[in-house]
Amino acid sequence: MKKHQKITLALASATCSLINVAADVQAEESADLGDWDINAAVLYYTESDRVSAFEPVISAKKQINDDESISLKLTLDSLTGPSANGAVPGINPQTFTKPSGSGSYTTPANEAPLDDTFMDTRVAFNASWEQELSRMTRMTLGGNFSKEYDYLSLGVSAVVAHDINQRNTSFTTGVSFSNDTIEPEGDIPTAFGIMQPAGSTQPRQTSSDDKTIIDVLFGITQVIDRDSLFQVNYSYSQADGYLTDPFKVISVVDGTTGLPIIEDATTNLSQVVYENRPDSRAKHSFYTQYKRNFTGDVLDISYRYMFDDWEIASHTVDFRYRLKTSETTFWQPHLRYYQQSEAEFFQPYFVSGQQPAEGSDNFYATSDYRLGEMTTYTVGLEYGEKYQDYGWSIAAEFYLQSVSEPSVKVGQLAQQELYPDVDAFMLRFNYDF
Amino acid sequence: MASPCEVLVDTRDYVLAKKLVHIAANEAWRIEQKFSRYRNDNVLYHIHHASGARVKVDNELALLLNFADQCYQLTDGMFDITSGVLRRAWTFDCSDNIPTQQQVDDLRPRIGWEKVSWQQPFISLPVDMELDLGGIGKEYAVDRAALLISQASDIAALINFGGDLYATKPPMSRESWQVGIESIGGLNKTGVIQIKSGGIATSGDARRYLERDSIRYSHVLNPKTGCPVEGAPKSVTVASPRCTDAGFLSTTAMLNGKEAKSFLEAQDVAYWIQN
Repeated sequence: MKKHQKITLALASATCSLINVAADVQAEESADLGDWDINAAVLYYTESDRVSAFEPVISAKKQINDDESISLKLTLDSLTGPSANGAVPGINPQTFTKPSGSGSYTTPANEAPLDDTFMDTRVAFNASWEQELSRMTRMTLGGNFSKEYDYLSLGVSAVVAHDINQRNTSFTTGVSFSNDTIEPEGDIPTAFGIMQPAGSTQPRQTSSDDKTIIDVLFGITQVIDRDSLFQVNYSYSQADGYLTDPFKVISVVDGTTGLPIIEDATTNLSQVVYENRPDSRAKHSFYTQYKRNFTGDVLDISYRYMFDDWEIASHTVDFRYRLKTSETTFWQPHLRYYQQSEAEFFQPYFVSGQQPAEGSDNFYATSDYRLGEMTTYTVGLEYGEKYQDYGWSIAAEFYLQSVSEPSVKVGQLAQQELYPDVDAFMLRFNYDF
Repeated sequence: MASPCEVLVDTRDYVLAKKLVHIAANEAWRIEQKFSRYRNDNVLYHIHHASGARVKVDNELALLLNFADQCYQLTDGMFDITSGVLRRAWTFDCSDNIPTQQQVDDLRPRIGWEKVSWQQPFISLPVDMELDLGGIGKEYAVDRAALLISQASDIAALINFGGDLYATKPPMSRESWQVGIESIGGLNKTGVIQIKSGGIATSGDARRYLERDSIRYSHVLNPKTGCPVEGAPKSVTVASPRCTDAGFLSTTAMLNGKEAKSFLEAQDVAYWIQN
């Protein structure tokens, strides 16, 4: 007698999802297959006294035939406003030369120097094509293009997802490659070159440089029961090439007074050197997510741990709860906590005489707050309405970023805040056609 | 549902009883209207008349199709919602009207769930093929009606749609509901099943068979051969937490023919076989 397999467990989970989930379904829509599903969103982001961004996004998805679909996404970004240049505040006003080398800006006394020439517009375009390879396997191939005034990024990606166990378990493998070219206004600065007054010759090397990034991802998604699922991902990212920020500088200060050295007395130019970062970075990241449906409400929590060979390690905890307030409306609070340690070459300032010589490519230092010890908090609330044919939502988020001050601050720096807290407000409007 | 349906409600409150019975009846009519292949105003009709084009289906039908897909996987293709076209050759009217091999072979290319493209929410059905949710629909309606009744009231109810049934909880006056199994095919004794809660479904029918040269052909057709399953019991009744599971298990047991008993034995469920 043939041995029969026990199928009652798989069957019970199959009928569970069949009987209970179908509850709200009434209306029958027949197919209108030529249609694109279109989503439009606008994001407005503003940091107090700093950068603000306006970002419209339009995305569209179309089913080509039974097992094939195509998605397109167009993003426009316009950024304006000042951003921190990396130098320390002083008790006197300080002057800095603009990246172009042809002008200057002055920072008032006791304020963190901000480069107010920052303005950029970005256009990004993504296209992806999803194809069913077999009954249980899907493949997505994608390409992206992003262009800013001084920056070009081109990338390709491939992801394969395979379902097993009555589609209760899904494995995902993906790889992506991108090549970015930067051609900054005023060329690429020489490592630790000293900023010169406007109009003078600046320490520059080439006019452009590039980097490549390879990402690999492995993921498992497991349906636990009819209302919950769990996901685990590991990803590895390898970046090679020019990873330095050409616009960031590091102050050189007097070892006793902590005052920025004056490089040029006639213009009040402070002595700052251009930063330099390693030309490779390997990141490992582990991500877990749990989602659960409570009769219409949806809980979504995730945690990410990342570490890299710049000795930055970070923890991200994200919490969302989507509260269904009626058949068509929802509220969704959002909380996010992020904490990172500083890069091993993080250097808020140099004491005069200790800065590396111009052109020391093998020495690394940055004062960029994004590589410092940092904690950020996000609190947000979204409200949305969803109907059969369309939906919209509006979300507001408040963001607070706090960067740790250096443990040792010489002279006047002890009275200065090198990394003041930054708060930002974000508003996003979303419309689904 | 093409068969008598009843709902027993354990209460003295006439208004409540009437309300609960209406809930069950409305749900049964809704499901029949929506998924019957005999109507020309529902999504099934659109799918059948799309000439192979893709049709977008709503969430409820998507769930039913996913379930049918899982049934197909679990049975290695024996449980197949595209096998309904075989009825064009086989009419189980107790006669000796056996189709020729040619008639059966002509239909076989039109069967096979693997030929259907189902990528939620889009389905496209090759021309000449048909979907028949009859093998799932009645049990699904029982479970849905039971769910709606339990959401409306916590009173015990027994839903019986043409022999497929579900008890929400035991009646107040006794420990369980008593359900009789109809004896078929000359068997004299009639069984009684005691059920506290859960689903019961029966596959097999005393009034649907063919007989020629003393060979009795059961109405359960093997989608792979296009012919009745040999050695299948006259009827299989299964009890399971849900009526839909019970219906699937009883049908699959029949599809296993002589192996029906060992199949059910492996499933750890209560069952009754009449040979």
